[in-house]
Amino acid sequence: MSDRGLCLAAGSASLALYQRLLEARLPGVAELVPADGSLLLVLAPGAPLPAGLMTLLEEVLDGHSGAPGAPASEHRIAVRFDGDDLAEVAARAGQAAESLARLLCSLTLRVKFLGFQPGFAYLEGLPAQLHLPRRARPRKTVPAGSVALAGGYCGIYPAAGPGGWHLIGSTDVPLFDPAASRPTRFLPGDLVRLVAA
Amino acid sequence: MIEVLKPGLLDLVMDQGRPGFRAQGVPEGGAADAPALMLANRLVGNPERAAGLELLLRGPALRFPEGGRIALSGADMRARCGDAMLPRGRTLEIPPGGVLELAQADKGLRAYLAVAGGIEAPPVLGSRATFLPSGFGGWQGRALRAGDMLPTGAPQGHRQGVLTFPRAKSALRILPGPQLPAFADAALQALTARTFAVGPDANRLGLRLAGPALAYRGGELASQAVLPGAIQVPPDGQPIILGWDGPVTGGYPVLAAVIAADLPRLGQLRPGDRLAFAFVTLAEAQAAWRKHERDLDEAIAWAA
Repeated sequence: MSDRGLCLAAGSASLALYQRLLEARLPGVAELVPADGSLLLVLAPGAPLPAGLMTLLEEVLDGHSGAPGAPASEHRIAVRFDGDDLAEVAARAGQAAESLARLLCSLTLRVKFLGFQPGFAYLEGLPAQLHLPRRARPRKTVPAGSVALAGGYCGIYPAAGPGGWHLIGSTDVPLFDPAASRPTRFLPGDLVRLVAA
Repeated sequence: MIEVLKPGLLDLVMDQGRPGFRAQGVPEGGAADAPALMLANRLVGNPERAAGLELLLRGPALRFPEGGRIALSGADMRARCGDAMLPRGRTLEIPPGGVLELAQADKGLRAYLAVAGGIEAPPVLGSRATFLPSGFGGWQGRALRAGDMLPTGAPQGHRQGVLTFPRAKSALRILPGPQLPAFADAALQALTARTFAVGPDANRLGLRLAGPALAYRGGELASQAVLPGAIQVPPDGQPIILGWDGPVTGGYPVLAAVIAADLPRLGQLRPGDRLAFAFVTLAEAQAAWRKHERDLDEAIAWAA
């Protein structure tokens, strides 16, 4: 990704690699950006590849990731299952809306990465029957706090904006506050449980 | 203090951006033509990361109740103060009560105004850069309006300088993107043999280009982290160069990416401008960055 970024296709090891590289603080690596099966190392332009990177990559990809990372934070998010697409999603999953809500509350979701808008986390851990493609026609405005599903992920919109995901519920929990010392509630690797409000 | 008498088309408080929050979904942002603002800051004795104004196409009218030392860079908006035309790239003095008037630029897109002491907007996530998509940073998270009173910091230094900063007019230099192998040979051919026009919806999120359609032969792509300058190709085959405030992850294939040294040039492209691309090697990109840094170091001649 130009001379400022090195994109590593790390598959299912992306999150482990992200956490290991965060701890390693390799000189020359300005930022680490995990995504869906890949990790971007943002580098200072003109700088050589960070020393020690190859050794570290081999360690993680061979499964010898050294010391375990810091324990993940766990969040409980109170959700009203009142989304406009709840009935349709339940029907596609062959369930009643109430049992879909119970199913979602029984899952432990994990933050794979953030993107799309500040604080928007892609939560993995949905069962296969809830892996839906995006809506054919995106909405021009999705309200802040909307809980939604698409592409195998659950996501919660921190702010209002356009969106193509299926809306299943809503929450009042703030997810992004640029004035806070930690602006986003969710960080990659965090665990998330939905709780019926 | 700066009083906005009449806003321009889009006047934004900008600095060199807020690195460090991409993993939380927040792009780096900052001045589109970053070296232009950096050099204007140097001309008025500011730290390079001080906040100034990024002015789009047509500038504002600004009043300086206490006067102030300023510098302009980037696109030429034919600045004047009273009857005096004010040149770009020089340390200038605005007298107390003076009004700086900026007109429409004939060439280029963004002008930068630095004022001694910098604009003292409250920093958000370590930066004063306006981030319009989420409405934070800069001045109340928005473009300037008539009546805004912008506080400025204490001036430092008093040297007079003159700026000479060469800008290449050649093809934008690019490196291969992660999905390059999945593009048709004809797409690669077209990318470097043909020219592209900047489309009407070019902004800080991205520059949509019009030109030959670039065919992608790969499958559906998982979201990947992207950087400003990445050339994404949506299904219609018309490339988008990702801008400074663009999302940190994207699902479109990335064919190539503009090298760091040429990224600021994107900030001066306006709708209708034509551009060409040329592949370089990583070593050439790194050499270009070192030359860019040398040019920055040598850009200002100071009066004795």
